[in-house]
Amino acid sequence: MKKLGAVFAVLVLAAVAAVGLASCGSSSDDTSGGGGGGQKGGTLNGTYASFPDYMDPALSYTAEGWTAMADVYTPLLTYKHANGEEGSEVIPGLAKELPKISNGGKTYTLFLRPGLKYSDGTAVKASDFPFAVERMIELNSGGSPFYLSIEGAEKFAETKQGPIPGIKTDDKTGEIVINLEKPRGTFTNELGLMFVAPLPQDTPIEDLSADPPPGTGPYMITKSQPGKAWEYERNPYWAKANGKAMPDLPEGVVDSATMTVIRNPETQVDDIEQGTYDWMQNPPPSSRYAEVKENFEGTQFRVEPTISTYYFWMNSQEAPFDDVKVRQAVNYAIDAKALERIYAGQIAGTHQILPPGMPGYEQFDLYPTDKAKAKEMIKEANPSDMDITVWTDTESPNNEAGEYLNEVLKELGFNTTLKILNADNYFTVIGNATTPNLDAGWSDWFQDYPHPNDFFQPLLAGESILPTNNGNFAKFDDPAVNKKITELGEEQLGPEQEDAYKELDEEIMEQAPWAPYGTRTLSTFVADSIDLESVIFNPTFGHYLSSFEFK
Amino acid sequence: MSEEANAERGPWALALRRFLRNRLAVAFLGVFILIVVFVLAAPLWADHVAHTGPNQEHTVDTVTVDGEKKDVVTPEGKPIGPQWFNAGGEFFLGADSRLGRDEMVRLMYGGRTSLLVGISAAVIATLLAVVLGLMAGYFGGWVDSVIARTLDTIWSLPVFLIGLSVGIALAVGGLKLGPLELSSGSLWNPILIISIFTVPYIARPIRGEVLSFSKKEFVEAAIAQGAGPLRVMFTEILPNLASTIIVFFTLMIANSMLFEAGLSFLGAGVQPPNSSWGTMITVGVDLLRIQPLLAIAPGFMIMLTVLALNIVGDALRDALDPRGKARMDAALQFEAQSGTVSEGKPALP
Repeated sequence: MKKLGAVFAVLVLAAVAAVGLASCGSSSDDTSGGGGGGQKGGTLNGTYASFPDYMDPALSYTAEGWTAMADVYTPLLTYKHANGEEGSEVIPGLAKELPKISNGGKTYTLFLRPGLKYSDGTAVKASDFPFAVERMIELNSGGSPFYLSIEGAEKFAETKQGPIPGIKTDDKTGEIVINLEKPRGTFTNELGLMFVAPLPQDTPIEDLSADPPPGTGPYMITKSQPGKAWEYERNPYWAKANGKAMPDLPEGVVDSATMTVIRNPETQVDDIEQGTYDWMQNPPPSSRYAEVKENFEGTQFRVEPTISTYYFWMNSQEAPFDDVKVRQAVNYAIDAKALERIYAGQIAGTHQILPPGMPGYEQFDLYPTDKAKAKEMIKEANPSDMDITVWTDTESPNNEAGEYLNEVLKELGFNTTLKILNADNYFTVIGNATTPNLDAGWSDWFQDYPHPNDFFQPLLAGESILPTNNGNFAKFDDPAVNKKITELGEEQLGPEQEDAYKELDEEIMEQAPWAPYGTRTLSTFVADSIDLESVIFNPTFGHYLSSFEFK
Repeated sequence: MSEEANAERGPWALALRRFLRNRLAVAFLGVFILIVVFVLAAPLWADHVAHTGPNQEHTVDTVTVDGEKKDVVTPEGKPIGPQWFNAGGEFFLGADSRLGRDEMVRLMYGGRTSLLVGISAAVIATLLAVVLGLMAGYFGGWVDSVIARTLDTIWSLPVFLIGLSVGIALAVGGLKLGPLELSSGSLWNPILIISIFTVPYIARPIRGEVLSFSKKEFVEAAIAQGAGPLRVMFTEILPNLASTIIVFFTLMIANSMLFEAGLSFLGAGVQPPNSSWGTMITVGVDLLRIQPLLAIAPGFMIMLTVLALNIVGDALRDALDPRGKARMDAALQFEAQSGTVSEGKPALP
């Protein structure tokens, strides 16, 4: 018995030791410690519901793409690595400091930080910036319109013959001088977008999604399989050069990361719950949202506000919505509370163009829900055309939002036809002027950058009504409003301009080209192994890879 | 019963007698009739029990269940589950989605749509198939070649994929073809797609039978008496095809309903906000984890209806034409020997 007892004791000790050793290992490879109390190192296994539109900084124009590349390509300016409104602050990136603006707002002067290197070891030069701008325009990037106000950029876009005369650089001093045709108050924000992040001048002028070019951020993309997956490793030149040159930007905690496309969000949720993956970029599907929120909020799940507006547009140039009374009546009939439920609590009701968090936002509600009043107004307006086609896309719950609008219009007495288009080509179809019966429909808008002009110029200015790729779905063209948008767009944003944008928001809503109904919330959902507190969700770039750390 | 008595009854009475002997078929005919009554009663249920229409939304409404008010859709977007009769019949099967529509009402109205599409598509497909099959089989030559090749071409296509593509195109842009104009949400879109793509499945066996009949003495006799082609086809041959047509028609309803459900599930059939059992499954799948009944109920109705129609169809074939299978095989053998078409028994989609 004694012998047996000793053997048993040894076995118990061995088992305890084994468990102890096993618990030292985790999905994190390196346990050297550091970084916000969590473990430094390890490989983050993330999942996206879709592959980014492009894995090329000049071309990507989606949240997926910007999130995927935010810690790989650093522009001259960037956004503060912080959550919420703090994350909307523009800070120097590759540039030493924020630009000096002169010549009545038409000249921007910046200086490149010395000693910067790309992840392939090439030195960063000031002349890489005009190369990046020209490459982006040559590739017909969706971001081109932001930079066409640079002197000679429009001509370059037509001829593709450079250089762009409005950008002067000095590689010795690192000086970059940008001259604009006319003042552009949003240009500082636009310099903070990845479209114009400097790239080595031998970078091919083609979509490099399968072989992304070298960048200057703390991570580099080492492998990209479009449609399937991509991988990151630390940029070796971050520790040697860039990290020292840009001490205010984080170096990142994990050593590497793998992102896998899993198209079924239900599976993504299961994988996070089981710890198969550490993070999902997109929010849980509506059908699982309540369950995930209830079970994991505060520990593995966090609601993230976005600077976005979800709205119904009404074609203000054709009957019946050419009558402001009809448009106002629809606004009275829309119940934001119903839409909050349709979006499973993932939108916060609003009745205005500017969303919370955007400079210039001040809450107001000109149209508190009142269906009786709405019906009365329609009766008074007595529209000549009662046939309406309602447009929406197939993505849930946008399709249900479209059905909701369809039913509201029916209740108001209109004869409606609902058209639900595939989400992949919805905006192409409704943005094409030749598409018949573009009467009313669903849309949304997420900020390109935290400047209120981004919600007025592309969506509600008369000059934004285009034959194709139209973004002004309401075809709203009011001369007084157009003038204000143009004038404000030329001014640098300050308290006075913010007040003017507040007034503009209300002025446009009085004419009701839209029936806005909510601001979308997204979320952070991570596995139990990840420190939720450390994860940063920036309003412009989304989740920063550099902010993830294992517990 | 004596042979004499059987002869006195006539072929239709005999067929009825044979059908009634098949108890399973009679039971499923009863099930099918109940389903038809169920869907026809939709307005009564909607007006007097549920007090709501099929497309009426109740997202922010409440319902009184056992004296207690409940949200039809919770603020988190969860639709109310089945209430059976606890809310006086309202939301008997719960709410269909975050739009808060009454699932039971939509199930009944959706059944009307599914049956309407199924029966209409089967009627059109059968009519077209009969005309084409008669012409091809009777005239032969280039008429037969053109019709048979056209049917072969349709048959060779991946019917569901083509139907899906056409369905999506029509669902977006509608159809404008001369005087024929269909709006994008019209029920005629799935009906036409299904009927056109299922014609070969009836036309080919009919053509085979006509080929066989056209060599028979009674046809030659009619021609000798001076009957024209139309008269021969419609008064001599067509009555002999009745049993085949009835059987195929029954089976075609079931198949058209399945086709419609598939198209609607993928967004190419019946368009929202109208319901069909197919569209209801699409909506239900999204909420499968929290309200599984939303997908199961319409799925079960489709299964039950299709099963009933298939069993009734099989029984009708046995009753109307006990030697039909042998004759069908003979007709196909004849087709194969004449070298006009490939061998093989026609299969429904």
